[in-house]
Amino acid sequence: MNAQDEGSAEDTGTGHDAFGEEQREALRHAIRLEWFTLAWMSGTVVLVALVAGQSQAMQAAWAEDMLSLLPPIAFLVATRRIRRKPDRLHPYGHHRSIGVAHLVAATALLAMGGYLAYDSVVTLVSVERPPIGLTVLFGQGLWAGWLMVAVMVVTSTGPVGLGLKKLALAEQLHDKVLYADADMNKADWTTAVATITGVLGVGLGLWWADAVAALLVSVSILRDGVKNLRSSIGGLTDAEARTYDDSAPHPLIHEVEDAAAQETWVAEASARVRDQGHVFHAEVFVVPRPGAEPSAVQLAALRDRLHALDWKMHDVVVAPVPELPHRQTFRSTLRT
Amino acid sequence: MRTPVLQRMRHLLVLALLLVAAGCQGSFPADTQGTLDRATGGELRVGIAENPPWTQVAPDGTVSGTEVELLEGYATTIDAEIRWVPAGENTLAAQMRNGELDLVIGGLASDVPWTSQIALTRPYTTAEGPDGAPVDLVMGVRPGENALLVDLERYLAEQGGEL
Repeated sequence: MNAQDEGSAEDTGTGHDAFGEEQREALRHAIRLEWFTLAWMSGTVVLVALVAGQSQAMQAAWAEDMLSLLPPIAFLVATRRIRRKPDRLHPYGHHRSIGVAHLVAATALLAMGGYLAYDSVVTLVSVERPPIGLTVLFGQGLWAGWLMVAVMVVTSTGPVGLGLKKLALAEQLHDKVLYADADMNKADWTTAVATITGVLGVGLGLWWADAVAALLVSVSILRDGVKNLRSSIGGLTDAEARTYDDSAPHPLIHEVEDAAAQETWVAEASARVRDQGHVFHAEVFVVPRPGAEPSAVQLAALRDRLHALDWKMHDVVVAPVPELPHRQTFRSTLRT
Repeated sequence: MRTPVLQRMRHLLVLALLLVAAGCQGSFPADTQGTLDRATGGELRVGIAENPPWTQVAPDGTVSGTEVELLEGYATTIDAEIRWVPAGENTLAAQMRNGELDLVIGGLASDVPWTSQIALTRPYTTAEGPDGAPVDLVMGVRPGENALLVDLERYLAEQGGEL
C-alpha cells in the first residue's frame, strides 16, 4: 500500500469513522433503542393477534404492527452496512445504505397510512357493523372490547417514549431513518388511541366510531409517509442536502462556502453538497484572487479546514476554477 | 413540535373519555339497532338451516335439534317468542344482511364464509366434523347487535359449563 492509498483511506473512511465519540455513543444508544423497539413490537404483534378475534379494527391494528417492524430492521441493517470501508467497487463508500433504509421506512409509513385509510373507507361505505362479543377469562365472562382496550393501552406506552427518544437522536446523528421511525412510533400510538376510541364507540352502539377514528389518524400518517418519501427520494437523487427533518436546506452548505471564502487567496466559493446518509459529500468550487496561484499544499490545507468544520463534512473535494461553473454549482436556496 | 397532530390526539382522548362516561349509562355494549331491547318480551326472529342433529325442520315446519333446544332455553331468559324462518344458509345470510333476521342457526362451524353478513358467537361446543376433525360450533348474530351477541354468548357459556 503506497502513501496515496493511506491518504485516501483516512480521508473517506467508513461513515462510522466520521463519528466523534459523542455520535458513536448516540449511535450505540439508537441501536439499543431499535432492538428494544423490535422486541416490543413483536410482543405487541403476538398480544394483538391473541385478542383480535373477528374484530376488523384489531386485525388492522395487527397488520400495522407488522409494518412497523420494517423501519427498525432497515435501520439495523443500514448501520451495519455503513461500517464497511469504501473500495474500488464502492468509491463513495456505503453511506447511502442510510438513504435506502429511509426509503424503506418511508414506504412502510405510507403503506400503513394507506391501508388504514382504505380499510376505514371500505368499512364506512359498506356499512360493516363490527361485532365485539364476549370473552371468557379465568372463568369470568368479560366484554372482549375491554380486553382490546387494555391491550391497546399497554402496548401503546412503548412507542410514545421510544418515538421521543428517537427524535432527539435523529437530530444529533442527522439520521433520517431514525426520524422516519419516530414518525412510525407516533403512528403506532395514535392508531392505538384511535382503536381504543373506536372500540368504546362500538360499545355504545356507534358502529362507525372505529372507522371514523381510524380515518382521522390515517390522514396524519399519510402526511408523514409522503413527507418522508419525498425527503428520502430527495436524498437518493442528490437533491440539495437538507436538515434531518427536511424542514430547511442544511446550514452547513452556507458555512462551508463562508469558510472557503475566508481563505486569503480565495475570491469566491460555491459548494454543491449532497446528503449521503449521516454524512455529506461536498464539492467546493473556489475562484482564486487575481494573481494568486494556490499551491497543492494550500488546496489540501483548505480541504482539511473544511473537513474539520463538522463531523458531517466527511467527503470534501476542493476544485480551483477560473470562474464558477454555473451549470455545476448553484447558490444554495438558503441565500436566495 | 407538530402541535396540530398532538391537538388532534388530545381531542381523541377527550372523545374516548366522554364515550366511557356515556357508556356507564344503559347497557354496555349496546346494539346498533336495539335488537335485544326489541326482542325482550317480544319476538326473536331466528333463521334455521337444516343440519341434523343440531337443527331439523319437519315437512310441517316444526323445528327440533340440540341448537333449537338451546335457543328456546335462551328465549325464555329474555321472555321472547321465537319466530322460526327455515331456509338454506345462502338465503339466511342474505336475509341477515337485509336485517330480516336476528339470529341464524344450523350447526354453523366457526370457519363459515358468511362473516361479512353474519357475526359469529364464540364457539359454544366442539363436535366431530364430516372428515373426523374437530369442528367448533357457533351461532350467527346480526352484525353490530353486540348487546344481543354478548347476552347470547353468556347464556351459551353458562349452558356449556364455562361460566
